[in-house]
Amino acid sequence: MAEHPPSDQTPAGAPAEQAAVDRHWRRLALAAVGVAVAVGGLLGFVIIPAGQREHSHLSMDAAMRRAAGLEAGSPAHPQPPAAINSLPVSQVSWDPAIMQRPAAGNTARGAELAGQVCAACHGETGLSVTSAIPSLAGQTSYAIYKQLHDFRTGARVQPDMTAVAQSLAVGDLASIAAYYAAASQQYAALGMRDLSGETEIVRVAWEGDTRRRIPACMSCHTNGVGGPIETPALLGQNREYMAAQLNAYASGARKNDVYGRMRDISRRLTPHEREQLARYFQGTL
Amino acid sequence: MPIASERDVIRSELRWGLITAATVGVIFIAILSAAFAWQMNPPSNVEFIDPKTLHLSDEFTEANLGTQVQGDAIAIRMIASQFAFLPRCVVAPRGRPVTLRLASPDVIHGILVTGTNVNTMVVPGYISQVHTTFTKTGDLLMPCHEFCGMGHSQMWATVRVVEPEAFKADAQGKVACAQP
Amino acid sequence: MRSLERLTLAHLWTGFVAFAIACLLGVWQMWVRSPLTAPLSTPDRYYQSVTAHGVSMAYLLTTFFVMGFGYYVAETSLARPLPGKRWAWIAYGLGLTGGLIAAIPILLNQATVLYTFYPPLTGSALFYLGLVLVVVASWIWCAQMLVAMAQWKRSHPGQAVPLAMFGTTANAVMWLWTTVGVAVEVLFLILPAAVGLTETIDVGLSRTLFSWTLHAIVYFWLIPAYIAFYTMAPEEAGGRLYSDTMGRLTFVLFLVYSLPVGMHHLFMDPEHSTGFKFLQMTLTVLVAVPTFLTVFTISASMEIAGRLRGGKGLFGWIATLPWERPMVLATGLAFFMLWFGGGGGLINMSFGMNAMVHNTSWVTAHFHLIFGGTVVIMYFAIAYTIWPKLTGWQSPNISLQRLQIWLWAIGMMVMTLPWHWTGLQGQWRRIAAFDYSNPLIASWGPWVIVSLIGGIILAVSALLFVWNLVTLHRSSSPRFAVGEVPYAEAVHPPGRLPASLNGFGLWNVIVAVLMLLAYGYPIAQFFIDPPPQAVVHRLH
Repeated sequence: MAEHPPSDQTPAGAPAEQAAVDRHWRRLALAAVGVAVAVGGLLGFVIIPAGQREHSHLSMDAAMRRAAGLEAGSPAHPQPPAAINSLPVSQVSWDPAIMQRPAAGNTARGAELAGQVCAACHGETGLSVTSAIPSLAGQTSYAIYKQLHDFRTGARVQPDMTAVAQSLAVGDLASIAAYYAAASQQYAALGMRDLSGETEIVRVAWEGDTRRRIPACMSCHTNGVGGPIETPALLGQNREYMAAQLNAYASGARKNDVYGRMRDISRRLTPHEREQLARYFQGTL
Repeated sequence: MPIASERDVIRSELRWGLITAATVGVIFIAILSAAFAWQMNPPSNVEFIDPKTLHLSDEFTEANLGTQVQGDAIAIRMIASQFAFLPRCVVAPRGRPVTLRLASPDVIHGILVTGTNVNTMVVPGYISQVHTTFTKTGDLLMPCHEFCGMGHSQMWATVRVVEPEAFKADAQGKVACAQP
Repeated sequence: MRSLERLTLAHLWTGFVAFAIACLLGVWQMWVRSPLTAPLSTPDRYYQSVTAHGVSMAYLLTTFFVMGFGYYVAETSLARPLPGKRWAWIAYGLGLTGGLIAAIPILLNQATVLYTFYPPLTGSALFYLGLVLVVVASWIWCAQMLVAMAQWKRSHPGQAVPLAMFGTTANAVMWLWTTVGVAVEVLFLILPAAVGLTETIDVGLSRTLFSWTLHAIVYFWLIPAYIAFYTMAPEEAGGRLYSDTMGRLTFVLFLVYSLPVGMHHLFMDPEHSTGFKFLQMTLTVLVAVPTFLTVFTISASMEIAGRLRGGKGLFGWIATLPWERPMVLATGLAFFMLWFGGGGGLINMSFGMNAMVHNTSWVTAHFHLIFGGTVVIMYFAIAYTIWPKLTGWQSPNISLQRLQIWLWAIGMMVMTLPWHWTGLQGQWRRIAAFDYSNPLIASWGPWVIVSLIGGIILAVSALLFVWNLVTLHRSSSPRFAVGEVPYAEAVHPPGRLPASLNGFGLWNVIVAVLMLLAYGYPIAQFFIDPPPQAVVHRLH
C-alpha cells in the first residue's frame, strides 16, 4: 500500500503558500485556545461570583477573592460564625518535633527510672505478672509517652498512675518511653504469641464487623497500618488489663482516646466480646 | 462511488462540530443556571487547619463537634479519622440551609450523603465545607468514600434529617441524635 | 524473526501477562465485595489485590502496550528501521525490572496504597522506585519516537508524516508533559517520605501534582486505540479514511487539552478554588471534542467501506461491513461502549453533576467501560491484526478471536451498567465489605452480583485472549505470508497541510501557556502560602 504521494516542496506546496496555511492555522489555534481560556476564566473568576454574591452579601472584591481561593469560603454563601471554645480530651499531639522526644529519650535515665518507679508494678523486665497491670516491654514509645502524659495532665485517670506520672518531669516521660520501647525488646513480651479464639472473635479481630461499623482490630493495631500514632501493640498484653480498658472505654470512664475511636468501638462490642478479644490478644506463649 | 470533495468533507465535519458544540453548550448552560439560581459551586473552601493539632484547636475539639445553631446559621462540624466519623450521628433540619465543616487529623477521607448532592473530599490541612439544604426527612448514610486504610469499609456516619419542629437546640445551641 | 518483531512481542506479552493476572484478581475482588462469601476476605488482602490490579492495569499493561505498538508503528509506517534499537531493549529491561521491583512490596503488603497512592499513606520506597523505572523506560521510548519522526522528516522534506506515526509521536510528546506531575510528586514528596527523610508531607500539593498526570495518562492509553481507528480499521473494513486532516487534528487536540484539565479529578477537593475548577472544566469540554470528531470521521470511513460493499440506504452500509474481521468488530463494539463511557465522562466533567457521582461506583463504572471497554478492546484488535505479521503464523480459527471480543464487550457492559446504577444511588468506592443488612445497601446486592457475573465473563475472555495469542506462536498453525502493513489510505491524502499538523512546535508552546494558566497558581499557592502538613503515615 503506497504512502501519500511525495511532494517536492512542503506538504502545502510552495513555501509562501505553506507560510500562509501555517499562519492561518496558527491564528485559528490561538484564537480557539484564547476564547476557551477567556470564557472559562471570566465565567469562573468574575461572572459567577458576581451573580452569586447577592446571596452571600459580599462585595465584588470579596466574592472574587473567594472564587480565586485567596480567601476561605464560598462566593455564594456566608461563612458560619466561629465556634465556641471547649476543652480538648488530651493535650498530646504529634508532629515531628514532639515525636522526636520519645525517640530521643535518654534510655539510661529511662532504665534508672524504670527500676525505681515502674518495676514494682510493671515487673523487673517490663513483663507484668499481675494480669490487671499492663506489660510495657516492647510497647511503642509513642503509646507509652502519650499515656504517661495523659496521666500527668489528668486526661486519663488512675489513682496510682496519676501520682506516679505527676511526680515525673516531662523529660523523664520521654526517657521511660524510649527505654521500654527499645531496651526491653530482648524480652519480647509483646508480639510473639499463639493466638486462638472463637471464630467470630477472630473475625472481628482480622476482618471487623461492617454491620456494627467495627473496623478490624488489626486495621489499626498492626504497627504502621492504620490508626493514630499512639496506637498500642496488643499481642501478648495482659488479658485483665485489656478487658478493663475496653470496659472503661465503653462506659466513658476512660476518654483519652482522641476523637473517641476506642470509646465508639468498645460500646458497640458486647461485654462478652470485650472479654474474648482480650483473651484472644493475650494469646499463649 | 461518489466520494465527497475535500471541501465537502471539511464542511460535514464542521456541521458535526456544531452539533458537538451544541451538546456541550447545553451542559454549560445547566451548570451556569445551577450556579446562579441555586448558588451551587463545587466545595472549594480554601481554609487551612493543622491536622497535627486538630483536637487541640478551638473549632474541632471533641465537645464542639456535631450540629450547632448560632442565630440563623446551622453548622455541622465533624471529624473524619481512621476509622470513624465523630459524631457518628448528626441531626439536620429539613428545608433549612446547613453548612457542614469537616477536617481530618490523619489521612485523606471523603464523604457523600446518599440521596443528596453533598460530596466532598476531606484533606488533612484543610477544612472542607459544604453548603446544602436537606429536602427529605429520614436517616441518610454518610460513608467515607475515599480509601483511608484497612478500616475504610467500616467507616460511615448517619445524617438524621428531621422536621424543623423536631429540631430543638439545647442551651448551648447544640442538637444531638436521640439514640447515637 | 527480525529484531523489531522480538521487541514488539516482548513488550506486548509483558503487558498482556500483567493484564491477565489483574483480570483474575479483579474477579476475586468483586466476589469479596458481593453478598456472597469469598475466601481470604480480610481487608489487607483485598486492598493488596486492588493495589496490584490497579498497578498492573494502569501502569504495566498500558505502558508496555503503548511502547511495543509504538515501536512497531515507527518502523512500519515510516518504512525505515527503528533508530536506536539497542536503547529500546535497554528501556524494556528497565521497565520490566521496575515492574518486578514494584511487585515485591505489593506482595509483601508493604505498599497497599492503591495505584493512585494518595499520601499521607506511604508504602515502601521500593514500590515507588519500581514505578519510577517504568516511567523512565517510557521516556526512552518517547525519545525514540521523536528521533524516528525527526529523521524521517529530514529525509522526506515537505512530506506529510504518515498519520499513524504522527499520532504515535503526539502521544509521546503528550506523555513527556504528562509524567512531569507524578515524577515531581514521587521524586520530591513521596520518596523522601518513604525513606524517612521527611516526616510530614504537603497533601494538597501531592494531590495536585498527581492530578496533572491523572487525566492525561488516560489519553496516553487511548491514543493507540485511536491510531487503530484512523489507520487500521478503515483498511480492514475495505474502505478509506474519511479525513486525514481530522485524524491529525484529533491527535493534536488530545495533546493540547488532555493536560490542563486534571483538576476535574479534584472538583470535590478543598485545596482549590471554584475559579480554577471552572477554568479547567471549560478546558475539559474541549478534550471531549476530539472524541466527537473521531466518532464522526470513523463512522464516515466505515460508511465508505459499507457502501463499497453494496450497502444502500441510510443505514444499509452497516450490515454490509465485514464484521467477521476482528478489527472491524472491535471498532463497532468500541464505539457502542463509547456512547456510554463518553456520556458518563460528560457528566463527570460537569462539576454540579460530579457531586452526585464522585467516588461512587459510577466512577469505577466509567473508567472500566471507557478504558477497559473501548480502549482495551482495540488493544485486542491491534494484537490480532499485527500478531501474524510478528510471528509468521496465522490464526487457525478467527472465530475464536471474534468470540473473545464479543465476550469482552458483553462482559464489560454486564459488569459496568449495574455499577453506574448503584453509583447513582450512592454506593461508594474501594470497599472490601458492605453491610448488606442495611436496606439501601441490600438493594444493591443483586446488582453487585450481576456485576460479578460480568467480571467472570471478562476473566474468561481475558484467558481466551491469551490462548488466542499463544496459538499464533505455534508452528501447527497455518503459515502467514508476511506482507506490508496495510495502513488506511485517506480519501484525500493530505494536501495543503500546515506545519502544525505535521509537527508539534506550536502545540508545545500552547501546552506550556495553558499549563501556566491552569496549573500555575494552583501549584504556586502551595509555596506562596503553604498549608499545614500532615504526618507521613508509613505502611510498613
